[in-house]
Amino acid sequence: MGYAAIRNVRYRGLASCVPKNVVSNLDCAEQIKSERQRLVRNIGIEKRRICYPWQCFSDLAVAAAEKLLADLNWAPEEVDALVVVTQSPDYLIPATAIIIQDRLKLKTSIPAFDINLGCSGYPYGLYILGSMMSSGDIKKGLVLIGDKCASLKDPLFSDCGTATALEYDSDAPVMHFDLNSDGSGYRAIMLPVGGHRRPTKFHHFIPEQGESGARLPVDLVLDGTAVLNFSITQVPPAVRRLCESSAIEIGNVDYFVFHQANRMINETIRKKLGLVAEKTPSTLADFGNTSSASIPLTMTQRIRGELVTMPRRLLLCGFGIGLSWAGCILETEGICMPELLEV
Amino acid sequence: MPDIAGFIANFNTAVDFQEQRELSGGTLLADLPEWDSLAALGVIIMFDTEYGLTVTGNDLKKCTSVQDVFALVESKGK
Repeated sequence: MGYAAIRNVRYRGLASCVPKNVVSNLDCAEQIKSERQRLVRNIGIEKRRICYPWQCFSDLAVAAAEKLLADLNWAPEEVDALVVVTQSPDYLIPATAIIIQDRLKLKTSIPAFDINLGCSGYPYGLYILGSMMSSGDIKKGLVLIGDKCASLKDPLFSDCGTATALEYDSDAPVMHFDLNSDGSGYRAIMLPVGGHRRPTKFHHFIPEQGESGARLPVDLVLDGTAVLNFSITQVPPAVRRLCESSAIEIGNVDYFVFHQANRMINETIRKKLGLVAEKTPSTLADFGNTSSASIPLTMTQRIRGELVTMPRRLLLCGFGIGLSWAGCILETEGICMPELLEV
Repeated sequence: MPDIAGFIANFNTAVDFQEQRELSGGTLLADLPEWDSLAALGVIIMFDTEYGLTVTGNDLKKCTSVQDVFALVESKGK
């Protein structure tokens, strides 16, 4: 498959929500200031948003969805489908989407389910909900995307929840997708403990010596070099392939909104594609890597003014955990897009 | 064939040293405080963008000196 097209579905609106809690990677002891400055210079991430202890991803996503529904003037009972893309569910079971159906007071006669994807999740979420809607049985749908993935232990990740509204419209421009998966690299980013393969035990909370110092077995494992090689090798050809399959010249795309991984990865991808910085908006410095929410958050924070007022052609591309990577080309026009929410 | 002087200049930029360092092929990586996971990312990008070669984290772990890293240009280019 790889390439897919979705017809009759219009991208109607987007809302993004972050926690008010800001942490800085430069907020550290004087003795390690220079080392931290080198880190920030290279990964490009200075500030991050971290959920308060009582907040979940779903709290951010629900706040985004409520604001979006209000601004679109959509009553909750008009929504015909709810898809949630997250790796930070409220509970292991049941699915967070079903709980959110009730929180948003959506009707019960709708499909609501979760999709377990991270950095590639935004194009996937649009594809899955768009596929469900293109026949016309579902007129209005919501896809809530994001994660609670920040921690004080690492300098990369940041929390964000988003809500995107799609609507059936036989005059809507075609959405183009390129979807890929390679499970041979699943160890590159993983939580090795806590699932059914390795259930959590007491000893998983005892630090062990890793290659870069002490770590807990329950902590996230991130093979930075493997992720880097995957990203800079797979993403540029996938972007070119998507443009070729869609018969859209790369020069005719207004903005390329990439998953915000880190500056080194994003800059290498940009240069390999020969794109100018102005066409690749970034939120890394202020918001870090917000997993599947990084694409919609960047749209909200960097190009909202244009997206609400004029037609734009966007190429969105997510890549990472899985390993999974996906791109889509969207034509938007006057979309409903509230300013960034903070809760 | 790239020369080691040019390689060391690229290596210097890729590692992003906090203080100016005089490097040679014989410089041991273990003697460089900045030779860390961040430096490895920079060097992998350097190989990709400057030499069109893919080098892995494991390739770099096997290196003990700057000369060993430089030798990857030839071995990976074959």
